[in-house]
Amino acid sequence: MLIACNRPTVPTDAKQESRLPRIYPDYTEVTIPFNICPLNFAVQEGASEVVARLTYPGGEMTYGKDQKVLIDEEEWKEIMKASKGESIQVDVFAKVDGAWKAFKPFNIYVAEDSIDQYISYRVIQPSYVAYEKLSINQRDLTSFDEREIYSNMSVSTESTGQCINCHSYKNFKTDNMLFHMRQGYGGTMIVTDGELRKIDLKTDETLSAGVYPAWHPTQNLIAFSTNKTGQSFHTKDLNKIEVQDTESDLILYDVDKNEVSIISELDDELEVFPTWSPDGKKLYFCSAHFEYQNDSIAKETEMIQRYKEVKYDLYCADFDPATKQFSNVQMIYNASDSLGQSVTLPRVSPDGRYILFAQAEFGCFHVWHADADIYMMDLKTKQVQKLDAVNSERSESYPTWSSSGRWIMVDSRRDDGNYTRPYIAYFDKKGKAHKAFAVPQKDPNFYTFFLRSFNRPEFMVEPVTITPQEFAKKAKEDAVPAKYANR
Amino acid sequence: MIKLKYIYILAFITVAYILLPVMNSDYLYTIQDNNIFISGHTFMKEIVDDQGGWGAWTACYLTQFFYYPWLGSTILIALWVLIYLLTLHLFSIKDKLSPMALVLPALLLFNILDYGYWIYYAKTPGFPFQPTLALLFILLCATLLRPLLSRTQHGKWLDNLLPYQLCLIGVGICLLFVFDLQRVNVLNNHHCSFLITMTDKNFKHEMRMYRALDEFRFDDVVKEMEACQKEGTEPTNLMVLYKNIALMHTGQLGRMFELNNCGTTPNAGKSLQVHVSQLGGALIYYQFGQINYTYRRAMESAVKHGLSFRNLRMMARAALLNREFEMAEKYLAMLKTSLFHRQWAIERERWIFNSTDYLQSLEYQTLAPLLQEDVNTLDDDQGLCDQYLLQHFSDLTQASTPLLEDLIICMSLWSKDAYAFCVHFYDYAHNHPDETIPTLYQEGAILLGNAEDSPIELNGFRFDELVADKYNRFVSDYNTLLQQGISEKEMGNRLRPKYGTTYWWYYYFYNDFTLY
Repeated sequence: MLIACNRPTVPTDAKQESRLPRIYPDYTEVTIPFNICPLNFAVQEGASEVVARLTYPGGEMTYGKDQKVLIDEEEWKEIMKASKGESIQVDVFAKVDGAWKAFKPFNIYVAEDSIDQYISYRVIQPSYVAYEKLSINQRDLTSFDEREIYSNMSVSTESTGQCINCHSYKNFKTDNMLFHMRQGYGGTMIVTDGELRKIDLKTDETLSAGVYPAWHPTQNLIAFSTNKTGQSFHTKDLNKIEVQDTESDLILYDVDKNEVSIISELDDELEVFPTWSPDGKKLYFCSAHFEYQNDSIAKETEMIQRYKEVKYDLYCADFDPATKQFSNVQMIYNASDSLGQSVTLPRVSPDGRYILFAQAEFGCFHVWHADADIYMMDLKTKQVQKLDAVNSERSESYPTWSSSGRWIMVDSRRDDGNYTRPYIAYFDKKGKAHKAFAVPQKDPNFYTFFLRSFNRPEFMVEPVTITPQEFAKKAKEDAVPAKYANR
Repeated sequence: MIKLKYIYILAFITVAYILLPVMNSDYLYTIQDNNIFISGHTFMKEIVDDQGGWGAWTACYLTQFFYYPWLGSTILIALWVLIYLLTLHLFSIKDKLSPMALVLPALLLFNILDYGYWIYYAKTPGFPFQPTLALLFILLCATLLRPLLSRTQHGKWLDNLLPYQLCLIGVGICLLFVFDLQRVNVLNNHHCSFLITMTDKNFKHEMRMYRALDEFRFDDVVKEMEACQKEGTEPTNLMVLYKNIALMHTGQLGRMFELNNCGTTPNAGKSLQVHVSQLGGALIYYQFGQINYTYRRAMESAVKHGLSFRNLRMMARAALLNREFEMAEKYLAMLKTSLFHRQWAIERERWIFNSTDYLQSLEYQTLAPLLQEDVNTLDDDQGLCDQYLLQHFSDLTQASTPLLEDLIICMSLWSKDAYAFCVHFYDYAHNHPDETIPTLYQEGAILLGNAEDSPIELNGFRFDELVADKYNRFVSDYNTLLQQGISEKEMGNRLRPKYGTTYWWYYYFYNDFTLY
């Protein structure tokens, strides 16, 4: 009632502009799921007042307060219900220097496909070496509700900090999930059928504990990379940070047996980023061929000197779930030699037809590479295309699919070049990606004033129900060491 | 007749003003510079949810006012007066016992002065106001609840409190305070911090030099160092860095060893190990034109010790110089919401849209000669910015501007890198065949030209006779003292009045370059 009383009126004396309004986040001409929360936005026209008129099938609504367009959540649900499969026309009016301007209207297309209700991400300052507060949070996309899954502050002390990373779910569900803890109370938190365990995945025979994970879709198996990772810093380059693996291999963790075995540990190959096909019969991963040439210096030093030579290609190996054996490893995308590019972070669509990945000129850590973009391979035709609608002039990395395969989410630094934000794009039945949009926030200026990144966004069909306190309690226990098994 | 309680509080106010804005205005300014307050829901939620609730948020807001130390102090003292009056009222303290009510304000006054170097490391948002606001809140609640409590049988204890009981409570609070500090073994350290705040001259010099450097008032930085030299105290490494930056930007690098270049580690107390990178790393890198490292140090400082106006300004500056304008706008938008850094941000926001103004600004003009270095390398400073800068500039093989040319020579002298110096000196002499070579460079060449690791024979150069004669006298005096068998330290002390401003003295007698 109050909202209705305070509803702004559309100015009648506005001067028409031929361009679109500058709004943030940019929601012009985007396609959205019908179950998403309101797309609140700020009008960046230096206006003292703004009004937005939303015209949808069967009605229209006006919103506007100062420079922001904040949409009532209940009304938005009604608008979405009426607009499913249709579009909403948005007319924006702004009062600049005492005079009203009317901008070229834009559309918001409402898809008939819903989106997974939850996403999760790690909230972290885009720092260099130091870290303090880190948390893995889950966000309900149908509202603005955000909660912590786990925060390192629950166990970190002044002398024993804890890094957390690589949250991962089996088939988008949370009864089988994991994330790593490093340094203080280190170990991998693995939830299997709702049971929480803390495992030390480092064995004498493997390079490191598990790093980048991939749950097998049908078995209680997780593929990990193992990495020896280092960082160095650019003195001039705006990419600022280089994260490099001096060594990396692939391992398989059998959850039921608590056993680690090696998938691949080839000399001169840096294998990383495993991901399964939806049927669990193929394992995709990236690998860079890199031969160290100078024995007189440390590997780390040579890697720093030759960092631009490290380029990853995309590989695929067959997997027999019955015998748990890998075979027939083949390169399916030669990005290094033929294109002088480096492929990372592959993810297969839930229907098994497409594979998304991030590609840039070199290296494995594309979140710090401004030229990194999202590409997609059609596994049927082996054709690769750059997803222009999803990309920007800045870094895009960490692509992932929703459970339906109709939505793509990527980490993007398009806003300012430094802070990663989750962006979602519609992927239609014809295999076309639509313009990406930022995950909506209640306050449209939230991303401007929030000095943390959202890393590794993942879709989930249900929330994590284990409480942060339960995770913290388990974190303080000793990790159970995994056993090594010969393959 | 004026009641005693008013005389006591007037005396306290006077003491507080003397101890705060009169004696420690730089300290209070630095506290606010290391504090943050951003208007808006995002910052408010972060502080209220994570870092201590509304008290912390209010404390952050009030700490801003130390931008003008008198203003901030007035607010804080007013709150203490309120605490005093509430205590008198709540416990019905008689006039002659009113000093008892000053115990808590006095402890709060001591507390704010008891941070010393911790002001750069304290993570508690708005720490100068937090305990005051917490105590005020408790007293206000007690005052409001008192009439309700008094009506009950249990609540009458408050009315029946006797003055001596109040004395006991006061003494108890003091004992608890002291005992608690002793228990966690920080009493001495806290004691040190108070003394550092009140008496450590280098601590004060550093704060003044930082602010002058931040505002590009290089002459004031040099004056501060000259004042330190007159006091006869050894400067800290940080002061030496600040001084040399000021000399660099005023074309006086040749005076580097004339003004004390022998840095020491600061006396920060036992409980704290201070680092140059945290005390001034971002600004130091900025003044040397190392923009990515400026950003890194500001970011790391914000992560480890909390976001501050200081960090935000440095991140905005780095983004501007790197032409990362959207990022600069982000930081400037945050600064624009503050009460006192708003104008600074507005001015720089204008630069984004008017590049001519930016290119003509004092800031850009000053740093432009250092930005010509265009080779990108991958490295790490390991958290030691002075060592990194010395090595980075000593190792530079090309100097594309006169300032860089001078800088790389002076950095190789400073780091006693004979090899690098000789290469740079050789290039310099060849690039300036008809110019008089600065005395400092000649001093270096006379000494290092014959060094074992010198790659170039410098004896062929014609040195100024005055410089050569002085060097010969130095060698003679040195040998005389050496034959007397006295210690190196004593030799240094005896030769210092005569040769203390030469490179030779620095080379032979300053061997305590402790990095921190």
